[in-house]
Amino acid sequence: MQATDRTRLRTQAVRRVSIVTTASSDTPTKKILMMGGTRFIGVYLARLLVKAGHEVTLFTRGKTPVTQKIASETDQEYAEYSSKVKHIQGDRQDFDGMKSKIASAGFEIVYDINGREAVEVEPIIDAIPSLKQYIYCSSAGVYLKSDLLPHFEVDATDPKSRHKGKLDTEALLQSKGVPWTSIRPVYIYGPLNYNPVEEWFFHRLKAGRPIPIPNSGLQITQLGHVKDLADAFVRVLDNPTAFGQVYNISGAKYVTFAGIARACAKAGGFPTPELVHYNPKDFDFGKKKSFPLRDQHFFTSIEKAKNDLGWSPKYGLVDGLTDSYNLDFGLGTFRKAADFSTDDMILEKLGIKVAVPA
Amino acid sequence: MALSLQFAVSTPRQASLEISKLTPGYIASSLSLRSPSASSLHSLGTSSGIAGAVKKSSRRWRAAKTVAMAAAANEVSNRKVLIVNTNSGGHAVIGFWLAKDLVAAGHEVTVMTVGEESSDKMKKPPFSRFSELRDLGVSTVWGDPKDVGAAVGGKSFHAVLDNNGKDLDAVKPVVDWAKSQGVEQFLFISSAGIYKTSDEPPHVEGDPVKVDAGHVGVEDYISKSAFKFWSSFRPQYMTGSGNNKDCEEWFFDRIVRDKPVPIPSPGIQVTNIAHVSDLSSMITLAIGKPSASNATIFNAVSDRAVTFDGLVRLCARAAAKEAKIVHYDAKALGIDAKKAFPFRNMHFYAEPRAAKEKLGWTSSTNLSEALKERYEEYIKIGRDKKDIKFEIDDTILSKVG
Repeated sequence: MQATDRTRLRTQAVRRVSIVTTASSDTPTKKILMMGGTRFIGVYLARLLVKAGHEVTLFTRGKTPVTQKIASETDQEYAEYSSKVKHIQGDRQDFDGMKSKIASAGFEIVYDINGREAVEVEPIIDAIPSLKQYIYCSSAGVYLKSDLLPHFEVDATDPKSRHKGKLDTEALLQSKGVPWTSIRPVYIYGPLNYNPVEEWFFHRLKAGRPIPIPNSGLQITQLGHVKDLADAFVRVLDNPTAFGQVYNISGAKYVTFAGIARACAKAGGFPTPELVHYNPKDFDFGKKKSFPLRDQHFFTSIEKAKNDLGWSPKYGLVDGLTDSYNLDFGLGTFRKAADFSTDDMILEKLGIKVAVPA
Repeated sequence: MALSLQFAVSTPRQASLEISKLTPGYIASSLSLRSPSASSLHSLGTSSGIAGAVKKSSRRWRAAKTVAMAAAANEVSNRKVLIVNTNSGGHAVIGFWLAKDLVAAGHEVTVMTVGEESSDKMKKPPFSRFSELRDLGVSTVWGDPKDVGAAVGGKSFHAVLDNNGKDLDAVKPVVDWAKSQGVEQFLFISSAGIYKTSDEPPHVEGDPVKVDAGHVGVEDYISKSAFKFWSSFRPQYMTGSGNNKDCEEWFFDRIVRDKPVPIPSPGIQVTNIAHVSDLSSMITLAIGKPSASNATIFNAVSDRAVTFDGLVRLCARAAAKEAKIVHYDAKALGIDAKKAFPFRNMHFYAEPRAAKEKLGWTSSTNLSEALKERYEEYIKIGRDKKDIKFEIDDTILSKVG
């Protein structure tokens, strides 16, 4: 570790002695720019921010409608939100174009929900010299695989990971001198999830199919409800304790792969599922994914966020999956249609017949 | 009263956690922070510049931290503490380390070991090292839990810890005696083994337990005995100098002799191996903060899980050797995993959340470091030269083929 890093971290540690704050409810209204905000995390986060009285502008390409009514809100709540939230249409990959669109709006806070690479973030910071805080949605995928778990925020990160861009962005934020906060979620779930986590299990449960689990099913991971994540994002807003900090945000407990299948069944009122274990190495699935989660232990400690932000997840796993089921899949909506082709390959090889409901 | 304390902070995480737990009264007193030394921090793999890997704690750090934490924000000081200690098994070492930590924190300690001083059991560690305790002013006595009074004479105690019994038969006499003596605080070493298995690790305090377990009956009885303060501590596995029961030695035995290490499939089962100083520091804090620790159950464990395969790798690294892991399906091969392997063949992982939240305790277990120290001791006592039979291993390996 560099001497400057140690000094910075020690200085922050010392500073935190005298500042034990959480975002206060009488924080003045902020002008907020949100990169994204129309698909999943931002849908909930933007609503919370607007409700708290902030002026929120979503920056998107406009491919998804800027606002859509969600199952958990009343018509009036939706009318309130949609009338207040603002929008700038643009392409964040067009750096000059983007800069000109966001430069003179007086934004004080940026919530970057969909940034992937550091090069995408630098122009935003350069365009807003008066920026008070850059809040970034990173990923726990940056952690280096380890025999010792859970991952804490101080643990080694993997410069070769698929999420290298998130790491580079965190480093860039640190170097730019702007107050910044980075949030590292694990697997996010909840209504409107476009990553087929719970949806993958719900499809199979609904079809009455056995659930193929890679290897032992003892792999331990961690799911976090999107609304708990949104709550955490709100708590770092204008919070000096959070400046220069990264936070793991996910559920209070971890869960095995087999456990997720059983929890999804409980959530949707399905009978206990039959689990079928297979060795992925025995198959060539081509480009298709046979299971939605990485085949390894992957979980983090959320105690730093709990201590610093006074945050704690409100949803337990079964409660949270039930919320997701009741407001999304259970209403007949999902993002990806069921595709059981890899399941069928597995079942055939293992000589297991699927009983097709009449 | 001005308190001047050195905080040996070797990691930013510990710095932030410990400092955020300081009480306002303590903040007012003088505090000097030692910056992490270059030798105590080193990166495993490149970091993005935010924070590299954490290499925590040397013995010196643990000792300094224990004293600092005990002194910081104590509710009480100078307590008279009795440890009723088992004469064998995995938990025996707890009393040894706890006695030392309590003395360092300014308390007066008596250790009553169950049985006779002349027993053969006393030739094994930690008992063989009890002179170290006496040198610190600890009173070491022997006796029967059914008659604690006889062993301790007329001594009175503020706090009594039972680190002996697994059920009411063994502990009730100690509880009843303590109650009759007006002991303020009763503490019990229970077991994390009482948690019901779950799809959702870790075991946290408050999770359902096996109601028929002996330790559960004891915890229940203690909670209803109207002590002013009571706490229960649920450990898992421990490593540390003076241990009475093998832990990592099982792995060293095989690695140092270049024997394959048979691990029950799939090898990703997680467990929790704490350095015993994590337990002694936790209990010391609880004794110094009886209100904070009152009516509370604490998982007395480190805050990291390790997989079976991972533990083999860490032991191999400690021994500077290569290790060969051989996975086997215990059930399919008709092997009794309980006899074949030192840990429960399942996920068995508790986290010390209550201690962190209620006592401001932090873990200082660094398993890598601990195993290196244990390996040095393993060699020093000549155990690598010991003639060991690996009958069960040989059976497993022949069946795996």
